[in-house]
Amino acid sequence: MKLTVNGNTEEVNVEPDMPLLWVLRDELGITGVKYGCGIAQCGACTVHVDGVAVRSCQMRVGDLDGEVTTIEGLGSAEKLHIVQEAWIEHQVAQCGYCQSGQIMQAASFLEFNDDPTDEEIDTAMSANLCRCGTYPRIRTAIKTAAKNIREA
Amino acid sequence: MKKLSLAVLAASFAFVSHAFAAEAVGTNRVINEFPDGSISQEEGLENWQKFFEVASHPRCANCHVGADHKPMWSGPSFGDKARVHGMNINAGESRIGAETLLCSTCHVTLKEPDPNANSIAHAAPKVAMAWQLAPVEAEWFGKSSSYICNQLKDPTRNGERTIKEVAIHLDHDLILHWAWEPGGTREPAPHSLQETMDALMKWSAAGTPCPE
Repeated sequence: MKLTVNGNTEEVNVEPDMPLLWVLRDELGITGVKYGCGIAQCGACTVHVDGVAVRSCQMRVGDLDGEVTTIEGLGSAEKLHIVQEAWIEHQVAQCGYCQSGQIMQAASFLEFNDDPTDEEIDTAMSANLCRCGTYPRIRTAIKTAAKNIREA
Repeated sequence: MKKLSLAVLAASFAFVSHAFAAEAVGTNRVINEFPDGSISQEEGLENWQKFFEVASHPRCANCHVGADHKPMWSGPSFGDKARVHGMNINAGESRIGAETLLCSTCHVTLKEPDPNANSIAHAAPKVAMAWQLAPVEAEWFGKSSSYICNQLKDPTRNGERTIKEVAIHLDHDLILHWAWEPGGTREPAPHSLQETMDALMKWSAAGTPCPE
């Protein structure tokens, strides 16, 4: 079957019930997206489908209806996404394992709301777990990214 | 699918002696109509109780929550104590999570109904429509039989529907079908969708009596 990932059309020979996460990592070698729990309890596998955050461990590739963006396609080495820039500014990452999921979730959230309160940020981001506990820095970076989006 | 069709057929036959008419709706269920007054008050209340057992079951009530927009986790698969949905989930006034985190981010949308899609016990259930809370007017969680009974027949709180339209709605809304086929270790809602639709139609024919 064919799917579009980060602007590229890809052809894969897989069963339709294979999770999108498996297709991305094992078939296409796109490893920025991480496996955490496999049951939508942690958020590490978050990607965008037509710009909206989706847990790729839950999306069977046969149910996919839209273009996929992973952390590799959110920005580029030459031009980072505003959320990625804020992440670097605030040095959010510690071990880094959950961070691609965190950034993809935050980028999707800010598309809906570019002036979020702390409470709204916590509600939007609480399903993305970080075992290092970088939550205060995540919240600060999202505030900065939102400000930069508004001023862009 | 064959097993389900047979069950529906059997249910249809069970009502043939009393039913006024059987009208096919939605998927493969039917609306069995009963003439007004053909069902006694007592039988009407028994059928209301049947519907209440469905409405108050965790598979239904967990998403029929009030104005705090927080879905619940309750029922045997969650242990003895009811609690709000983990991960600080709030579906917002949109009832689909559009303000913060869409329900469908984790409860992803299937292309078509598939009872095998929810076999993993602790994964987020998914259906062939956008996962969402019921409208806030249809708050059921923790509410009494009397409260829900009066709510369901109140057009201002039931989406301006007749009871027949409510019964048809049960079959059209694919997210409700999941309640009887929840997968994993989740306890299904009691009775069946067809029996629940029939209970509503009998309750209606009895004049929609409500318990005290």
